[in-house]
Amino acid sequence: MNSARAYKLEQLRFQYPGSGFVLHADDLEIESGKIIALVGPNGSGKTTMLMLMGLLLKPSAGTMEFLGQNPWADGRLLDMRRKLALVTHYPYLFRGTIYDNLVFGLKVRGMDRAGFGALVRETLSMVELEDFAQTPVSALSAGQVQRVALARAMILKPKVLLLDEPTANIDAGMSQRMEAVITELNSRYQTTIIFSTHNFSQAFRLADKVLHFSDGKQVNYSHENFFSGKAETDGKLSWIEPKPGARIVFSGEYNSHITCIISPEKIKVFSENEAQRMSGPNLFSGTVIRLELVENNQALVRVSGELNFRLKLSIQEIEQKKIAISRKILLRFPPEAVEVL
Amino acid sequence: MIFTELVQAIWVSLKTSGAAAVIASLLAIPLALLLSANEFTGKRFLLLLNQTWMAAPTVVIGLLLYFILSRNGPLGSFGLLYTQTAMTIGQTILILPLVIGFAYTAISQVDARARITALSLGATPAQAWWVVMREAAFPLLVAILAGFARAISEVGIAMMLGGNIRGYTRNITTAIALESSKGEFMNGVILGLILLSLTLGINLLVNSGVKNRQ
Repeated sequence: MNSARAYKLEQLRFQYPGSGFVLHADDLEIESGKIIALVGPNGSGKTTMLMLMGLLLKPSAGTMEFLGQNPWADGRLLDMRRKLALVTHYPYLFRGTIYDNLVFGLKVRGMDRAGFGALVRETLSMVELEDFAQTPVSALSAGQVQRVALARAMILKPKVLLLDEPTANIDAGMSQRMEAVITELNSRYQTTIIFSTHNFSQAFRLADKVLHFSDGKQVNYSHENFFSGKAETDGKLSWIEPKPGARIVFSGEYNSHITCIISPEKIKVFSENEAQRMSGPNLFSGTVIRLELVENNQALVRVSGELNFRLKLSIQEIEQKKIAISRKILLRFPPEAVEVL
Repeated sequence: MIFTELVQAIWVSLKTSGAAAVIASLLAIPLALLLSANEFTGKRFLLLLNQTWMAAPTVVIGLLLYFILSRNGPLGSFGLLYTQTAMTIGQTILILPLVIGFAYTAISQVDARARITALSLGATPAQAWWVVMREAAFPLLVAILAGFARAISEVGIAMMLGGNIRGYTRNITTAIALESSKGEFMNGVILGLILLSLTLGINLLVNSGVKNRQ
């Protein structure tokens, strides 16, 4: 049993009955003891992936290994499920008190009740609710519900903890403290943590690896131009400044933290003469630092400057515009070329 | 009607209708759970049939069972006609669809996340369904009480299958019918008020017990 790997998914497919949406995971491995972030827009499949990993949904096709074993093999599912815990996006707390909720998982596992009190106290102190054990759940705020749900999972000390938007309903200050709890869990107990989030900066801050999902598929953005920042808007266009003075303008009205991509094919190169006659947004200068031949008589050009870009140009265009390593170029893309994730 | 007869009638009502409520609940709640948990062809039709049966007149049920339990009927050899047992059987059949319907609604309305959450915390499927039942505890209790109220207030079945025998199968409702047929309307009204008070008292007791637990 290879427990160095938490999950191995091969050619995995999942489809809800009667739905056109299909989740794909062709070749995905997650190492034990790591923190993994799933990012992507609403409806991209993050929650479905977490439900599959939580062994609450069975794949329609393909294979999934959990801690080196097939969890769907006869008689194994319950035992495998008890090695993980899932906290859903809008958590459901059972009727009763916080204490009743925290001990639920311990009771179903038949653990000795004598130790419940100490475990509950220890776990509640991690989520800053140590004096609230006997509080009825009906009296809790949304943020407190989230923290109780997290505590309810943490008290089980699972090998894998799955969190669907764990800080979605919590204010910024508490969110930071919960992030600290998550990283503490990982470092102290080597818990594999897989969480979904819309917050890209949180994902990159906490995770060892970020997996992007779009339309049910894991997508590789490593060849895309990828920027994020706090957007501002004038009502028609919006912009972010990934670096001070380097503004990326795009269509639409956004005024929260966003992440956007620009495909290499959509960026155009101009000579200095041409650029002198140009104005408008998304005009950047930079130096070519790499040229890499790819398929179809094209090359990937890496440019370093105000911002770093990857472009895809035909060999013919490279020759016409005399693009070479160390050459200064100007590049531009229209606001419509920017795709907000 | 003298006091001992009144007490006997109240006791017969509580005993036969109470037993009917318990038996119907023991049958109805698992059935309701099965219906909630499974999708199958014909489910909607079954629910429709159940709803239709809820409106069955008590005399029709009484009559059908009379034929079955009478000496020449298929179960005549058991000698159940004009007994409290026959009354309980009839009332159980009367209230069964009512309790099934209310229990099904109660269980179906429990947040779907309750079961998923229980499973995600390591519960077995049976433990997860027990959580669902617990989350639906109050509405299920209301379903049982509704069944009891229906049973204790019906007269058709009690009359046809019990025979209104003084001190044995005479309950509150058949006593009301008897007093009314004698022209003793005031007695009938008083018995009716007693019946209502009984039901109110039971409801208050159960509700305060639930409130304390919450």
